[in-house]
Amino acid sequence: MIPRHFQITTGLLLVAILLSGIYIISLRRREEAASLQNLQAATATPSLEGKQERIRVLVAYDDDQALRWRDMDAFMPADRSLRARAVMRAVLAQYLQSPSPHPLGKGADIRTVYLINDNTMVVDTTPQFADGHPPGILLEEFTIASLIETLTANVPGVTKVKFLVNGQERETLAGHVDLMSFYQTSAVDELAKEFE
Amino acid sequence: MIDPAHGGDDKGATLGGKLLEKDFTLALARELKKELLARGIPARLLRDTDMNLDVERRAEITNENHAALYVALHAGEPGNGVRVYSSALPPAAAAAGRFLPWESAQGGSLERSRSLIRFVAPALRKKGLRVSVLASPLRPLNNVIAPAIAVELAPGVQQLQETLKMRSTLASAIAEGIAQSRGLPGGRP
Repeated sequence: MIPRHFQITTGLLLVAILLSGIYIISLRRREEAASLQNLQAATATPSLEGKQERIRVLVAYDDDQALRWRDMDAFMPADRSLRARAVMRAVLAQYLQSPSPHPLGKGADIRTVYLINDNTMVVDTTPQFADGHPPGILLEEFTIASLIETLTANVPGVTKVKFLVNGQERETLAGHVDLMSFYQTSAVDELAKEFE
Repeated sequence: MIDPAHGGDDKGATLGGKLLEKDFTLALARELKKELLARGIPARLLRDTDMNLDVERRAEITNENHAALYVALHAGEPGNGVRVYSSALPPAAAAAGRFLPWESAQGGSLERSRSLIRFVAPALRKKGLRVSVLASPLRPLNNVIAPAIAVELAPGVQQLQETLKMRSTLASAIAEGIAQSRGLPGGRP
């Protein structure tokens, strides 16, 4: 027979172990949450410093089958990826107005621009950018060319660009033009010249 | 190898408000095949029904069959006339060895693709069509080893009947250009 005082001591020890375990788990969770918050703060808030600038935007005109440069004033962040996003959004803003020179689906937007290194960018777009894009070889080429040309005109040094849709790779923009490969900006410059 | 673009769930563009690009390209492909066979040039379709076939698979089938030529057929906006495309890859020497990089498999044949266009474009112009010759990042041109071109009809605001009539003209002009590029007489015997 086990003595009563031994049973009580063992019981108290088990309760103490259980409470310590719960405390350690809660401490670990708190620490993980704090480090995640720090990480998000570090990655999601790049410098918003910037200034009003005159930028060059290449706009597609479907009816004329032409690409034309336009100057416009816009607030340009100093951070390179935010700047890239801002100039490409300026192009999309032209297409989303009514009447539009090159209509795109409502909600077409740039979610994020990732800098892979000094000269390579990956542009993540909203699902509507591809799902709502009118199908057509030239129509799709105009979208890609105007975005990349505008990007390289305002963010120097970019030589390779790839597009994602909602964070995922896609075969084509709307059934025709390649979205799998990295675009060489020099090759896109040659393509665009045919329509300028 | 004749590739009627789109098919199945992928309808492509809508022409004249009701004709689907996938149906138009299939009908055009069948006519082109007939025109080529009449000139003694063997031809195959990548799809002969309304089926799903992704762009990667189209290139794979073409390469597996060691096709001598690849012609993709499209139709859509904007403008009116015919646009003839080759790949937008930079020209490259034909790669040595059995393996080619998938994303630039067309590089070694690009000059021959452009040479084919130099026969097809004038044949189309001879039929009274307005023709533009362009380079494009169109899939799957970059992945095809053989000389590869795409022909796109831009019907503009024409009536559907006109578009359908244009289909026969287009098929016979493309076949004529291909025959001439092989040193054969362009017209049907």
